[in-house]
Amino acid sequence: MLKTRIIPILTFNGFALVKTKKFDNPRMVGNPVQAARVYNSRGVDELIFIDIFATKQKRKINLKVVKDVIKECFMPVGIGGGINTLEDINDLLKVGADKVIIKHIALLNPSFITSAANFFGSQCICISIDVYKKNDEYFIYNQIGVNYTMVDYINIIQELGVGEIILNNVDCDGMMNGFDTNLYNMVSLIAKVPVVYVGGGGNLEHYEELFTKTTCNAVGSASIFHFTQHTPLDIKIRLKSIGKPVRI
Amino acid sequence: MNVAIINYGMGNVASVDKAIKFLGFESIITNDPLEIQQAKYIILPGVGAFAQGMENLHKLGLVEILSNEVMHNKKPFLGICLGMQLIASRGFEPNLTSGLDWIKGDVIKIIDPKKSIPHLGWNEITETKNSIIKDFNNKDFYFIHSFHFDVLNKEDIAATVNYGNDYVAAIQKDNIFATQFHPEKSQTSGLELMKSFFSYYAKN
Repeated sequence: MLKTRIIPILTFNGFALVKTKKFDNPRMVGNPVQAARVYNSRGVDELIFIDIFATKQKRKINLKVVKDVIKECFMPVGIGGGINTLEDINDLLKVGADKVIIKHIALLNPSFITSAANFFGSQCICISIDVYKKNDEYFIYNQIGVNYTMVDYINIIQELGVGEIILNNVDCDGMMNGFDTNLYNMVSLIAKVPVVYVGGGGNLEHYEELFTKTTCNAVGSASIFHFTQHTPLDIKIRLKSIGKPVRI
Repeated sequence: MNVAIINYGMGNVASVDKAIKFLGFESIITNDPLEIQQAKYIILPGVGAFAQGMENLHKLGLVEILSNEVMHNKKPFLGICLGMQLIASRGFEPNLTSGLDWIKGDVIKIIDPKKSIPHLGWNEITETKNSIIKDFNNKDFYFIHSFHFDVLNKEDIAATVNYGNDYVAAIQKDNIFATQFHPEKSQTSGLELMKSFFSYYAKN
């Protein structure tokens, strides 16, 4: 049986790991290479590493750092930040990334997803979607004036060949007070590709609740690993106790 | 002894190289015919579409060289993911394409409305015959694929994986060993399996 994936997310500012709250107030939380080494030794299912300032600061992700992070990992690694061209994707795959995580360029030019999927295979093209809730409907959060409802956008990117979706509720980011399970349930009705659900995990009960109230089978987290004593293994042990398939 | 990791522009060669070096073997990432002929082991990794993979092998003139080394000279061969699929007779991604045809069968799309596709994540394998993978029964490996290898001769299958239906997870026939999953991405189990591949063919 396919196992539930618990994926640590490392967000990077170009120099150090940072963790935001509601996409604001980045707080320094350490060194990416060291963090990757620790997660590898703990046998995590997968790792996500994103330079969350690359696009905003109009620069590319630092390939040397990416290379050093990947060097520590004998598990799949997804890399994102500042991807604008097929060449950017190729650079990341060449240094050993298994997936690339794309956000900005897909919003600006959705057909980029098709070009990337045709060239590299859709399995390595992962689209990151940030959403917020307004009047009981979810919309795509962005600062470039693009206006999509979440449902429309997910349908579009699936049509264009996305391989995986990372879904983050901006209002839950870094808050550590639980997942938006209603959002997940809404997405699971339309998702045809795997979804990594992100945003809100603060204690083991939150994960138990997410996996009990929804059909979620992949979760990405950062704060709980940075700011509490819990490890990915603790979450898996809890999920195992409620009968979910995990790899321990 | 050394290992030739075939570089044909289809991804993840760096990860395979890292895993081989971690195991203490010498490896080169190459598409040079001479280096491939001199290597003791050949690894064909790869991520992406079947047709593109074959096109790249043809463009680099590697189809004849690989077939000669693997099928005629019986050099130990490890195919990973797309590298397993390309040894099939035919592929359909995105359209009908002839493969290397070392193992009879077709690579076809996984169609299962109840499952999200690709089959992505860690899943346990079930061994189906005495092979390199026998000691890894029920171990989890990392899969990521939307197409599966429908192997014609069931005795070529070494392990299966269940994702709604049973799919081929590993193949072994003589000097050919191939996995649909990524051993180089499967932590300790994957590294141990790669080690078993080398020691199996060092002995046999």
